[in-house]
Parts: sequence; structure tokens; C-alpha cells
Amino acid sequence: MMRKSKIKRRPEGGWIGFVIFPVIFSLLALSITTAMLYPYVSEFAEMSKTYFTDSDLDISADCYNIFVPAEESSVGDESKPADKNIPDVKPREQKRIPLSSVKYPYYGQRMGELIIDDCQIYTSLYFGDGNYQLNNGVGMYSGGYIPGYGKTVMIAGHNNTAFNSFKYAQKGQKVTIRTYYGTYTYEITDIQVKSSTDSSAYDFSLNYENLIMYTCYPFDELNLTPYRCFVYAKLISGPIIDKNN
Amino acid sequence: MSESNRRSKVKPLIYGFLSFMLGFVLFLLSICLVLKFTLFSENFMLDSMANTGYYEMVKDELNDKLKNLGHASGLPDEFFDDFIKDIDIIEVERNYVSAFYTGSSTLVDTDTFKQQLLASINDYVEENNIDKEKADEKNILYLVDEASSIYVKTVTVSFFSVIANYINKLQTPLSMTLVGLVVAALVIAAIIYFTNTYKHRRYRYLTYGLGAGFLSVLVVPIVVFSSGIIPKVNIATRSLYNLFVGYFNSMFMYFWILAAILLFLTVLGFIVYRQKYLKAINS
Repeated sequence: MMRKSKIKRRPEGGWIGFVIFPVIFSLLALSITTAMLYPYVSEFAEMSKTYFTDSDLDISADCYNIFVPAEESSVGDESKPADKNIPDVKPREQKRIPLSSVKYPYYGQRMGELIIDDCQIYTSLYFGDGNYQLNNGVGMYSGGYIPGYGKTVMIAGHNNTAFNSFKYAQKGQKVTIRTYYGTYTYEITDIQVKSSTDSSAYDFSLNYENLIMYTCYPFDELNLTPYRCFVYAKLISGPIIDKNN
Repeated sequence: MSESNRRSKVKPLIYGFLSFMLGFVLFLLSICLVLKFTLFSENFMLDSMANTGYYEMVKDELNDKLKNLGHASGLPDEFFDDFIKDIDIIEVERNYVSAFYTGSSTLVDTDTFKQQLLASINDYVEENNIDKEKADEKNILYLVDEASSIYVKTVTVSFFSVIANYINKLQTPLSMTLVGLVVAALVIAAIIYFTNTYKHRRYRYLTYGLGAGFLSVLVVPIVVFSSGIIPKVNIATRSLYNLFVGYFNSMFMYFWILAAILLFLTVLGFIVYRQKYLKAINS
């Protein structure tokens, strides 16, 4: 006697098969496609990660202001006479601030203001010297150092806007840089006109604080000029950033 | 096991495999169709440029960059506002994009730009009675060259030359693949349709294939949009960013459309199947 099968056969007209089979086939198709494309796409996908950020790109803001003037008490002893020949590397009575307390600015941030009273220059100071920064003030070269670090600080500005009054710059004039961590005073020691490609105009390996400001030269010229006017200044006062702290 | 029994067990496997192949081919066909009508289409690129406001933004960016150059060279903002009005960015961009798809020279014509700028500067010098010493011809030509290089950098699309190279190379193989996939889909569908004895089974296996194709196509935009990767692209200029995001959003919209078409066909297949099945039961 034949044993009756215990498995009940599902009626053909049901809809479950129309869900299960397409899902299985779809998973298979996607797996095969992924396996087929993987050798070609994986390298490209890995490389393309560098073109994507973790968050949506914000291109609405060009710059952020982090400048809140530091307390004036941080200014050093300005009554001390400046020696015009020897850079005043470490003024004795200058305040020292630990490096850990100075948040290094990001590129493009407005970090302070630059004032040269004798030339009537009162302008915003940005970290970085891109178009936005130079259109709105003067820009500190991000490959250089910030004031108080004891190295070369380099600032650029346009000759027809912010630094147009450099034509009135003279030795001995005071330059004030107010930042969010302290106020610095420099004294102009030299003014030179050099070629735009002359790399001897600046030296970032110097181990004392010095300020270099530059702009295109001649002033009020209607074209792009191949020369630059460099204004050199030495530190008179301002809090020194203590790199060991 | 009798011959008829064995046949009845092997047949569903064969038709199941054919259904899977149909779904797979439809999936590949959908991808190729999307590529053909988006990435490989000149019109799609031009439409994306127009829809995302690319031309206006490029013009604004060019204006800003030239103004920056003006700040460094003593030319006021108003000078470039007037100058930029005469430049037909749409025409320049259209020629630039078309050149890539047609394989002709992709160099941007700078001669007209240079001539226009030089003439405008000379007019400005005359109108404002600027001293000749302050407007040295050699330096002005240098300024024009700088402006020209800014112009080229602004109107060209980054990496487009690299992508276009692949597009040109793959244009013919893609068309051939497309034809091959259409033929394959028709052949598989024909085998399923004409070799099945029962009419309702023809539609069942066809519906399996269509359903598989629908689900596979649906996965692509779901994965891309749920990952939110498109808006995270790291492009500095607003014009290119908007073009990229708009371009790929439109591209993946095609997947939604194809998925909707396949869903419609799947539902239709199921309805026809049910009708045929009920008819077969009754008879």
C-alpha cells in the first residue's frame, strides 16, 4: 500500500511565491552584479572617499570671526626704548602665555586687527591670505607663524585697498596687531621693494619674532605688478607664547 | 521515478532559472538605460546645467574672481560688472560640453575674451584719463593673461575631461550591450511564454522575472539616497557642487522611474496570471 505523503502541497494560485521568488532572484542578481563589478569599482570607490566629507558641505559661510580683543593688561612694557639694530627677542617684562591656552586659528578665520596709526591703516586681520581675506582686510600667511610665537609673521594685503597707505610707511612707525589672545606692538625697521619672486625677502627659519608685511608695488598702478613692497618690523611688546607649557 | 514525474520536477527549476535570468537581464538593462540617458547623454548634461542654475552661478563666480584680480590691479568692481555682461557663458559652456561628447577640441576659446577685456581696459584708461605710466602696456597684457587663465579655470568642469574620455570610449560598447540585453530579455521572455503548456504558468514565471528586476532596480536609489552620500561631496565652488548634486539626483530619479515601470508590469503580470489561473481551475 502506498504511503500517503504527509506534505501538503500548496495550491498554485497563491501569492507568496510572487514575493519569495523575486526577492531571492533579486538578491542573487545584486550579489552577482556586485561580484562582477567589485574588481573595477573597489579601487575607484576607495579613491572617491577622499572626495566626500562626513557631513553636508557648508559653502554658505566664507569665514568665521574668532576675534574678541584680549585684555589690554596683556600688553608688555612699551616704555622700554627699542634698539633699532638688534631684534628685541625676549623683552624682560613681557607676559608669557602657555601654548595650550592659545587655540590655533583655522584658515580663513578673522583672528584680529592690524593698526598702523601713522599710515592710517586700520584693517581686519585674517589667518590665511586667500581672496576672501584680502578683499576684507589683510591676511596672515598660514605657512608662517602667529604673533607671539617667536618666529616670522608674514602678512599680505592689496596695494589698492588695505595696504594702499604703505606709501606713507617709515622706519620707526608702530604697528599694532590685536588678536584674541593678546595685543602686539611692532616697530618698522626697514622698507624694501623686491621682485615678487625674490625668496630672499623673507626667512621663516629665524628664531626671533619679526613681522613682514607686503603688498604689490608700485601703488595705484593699473595692472598686476611684478614687484612687492616689503615692510619689516620687530617686536616691541606683547605676550610671548610659551611653547614649553 | 517515472519520466513524467522527473519532468514535472525539473521543469519548475528550468523556468525558475529563466525567471531569474530575466530579472537579472532587466536589472542590467535598467542600469545601461540609465547610463545611456544620463551619463552618456550630452543633452542630460546640458539640461542639468540649466536646471541647477550652473550658468548664472559660473558667471557670478567669474565676476567675483575677476573682481579679486581687480582689487590686486587697481580696477574697480564696477569695471567687471560691466565687462561680464557681454560674455555669453551659456554659449561657451555649451560648446565646451559638446566638444567632449563629439570628440572635438575641448580647449576654451580665450581669444575673444582677451580681446574684449583688453578693449575694455583701454576704454577705461581713456575715460578716466589715467596716466600712461600708471598703465604700462606690458603689465596690462600680463593682467589680461591672468584674467584669461581665471576665465578658463572657471568655465571648465573639473574632472570632466577624465570622465569624458571614458564616455567617448564606452559610447559604442554601451549601445551594443544595450541591444544585446534587449535581445536577451526578449528571447528569455519568448522561451518562457512559448514553451509553457499552461497559459497561467507563462505569466507566473514572467512575473517572477519582472518582480526580481523591479526589486533589484529599486535597491540602487534606496542605497544611494539612504546613505546620503551625494550632498557630502567635497566641491569648493557652489556652481559645481549644485551641478554635481542636481546631476546625480536626476540620474537616480531615472532608477525610480524604471522601478515604477517594472512594478507596474509585475502587478499587471500577477493580475493576468490570476485571471488565467482561475480560468484554468474553472475549466
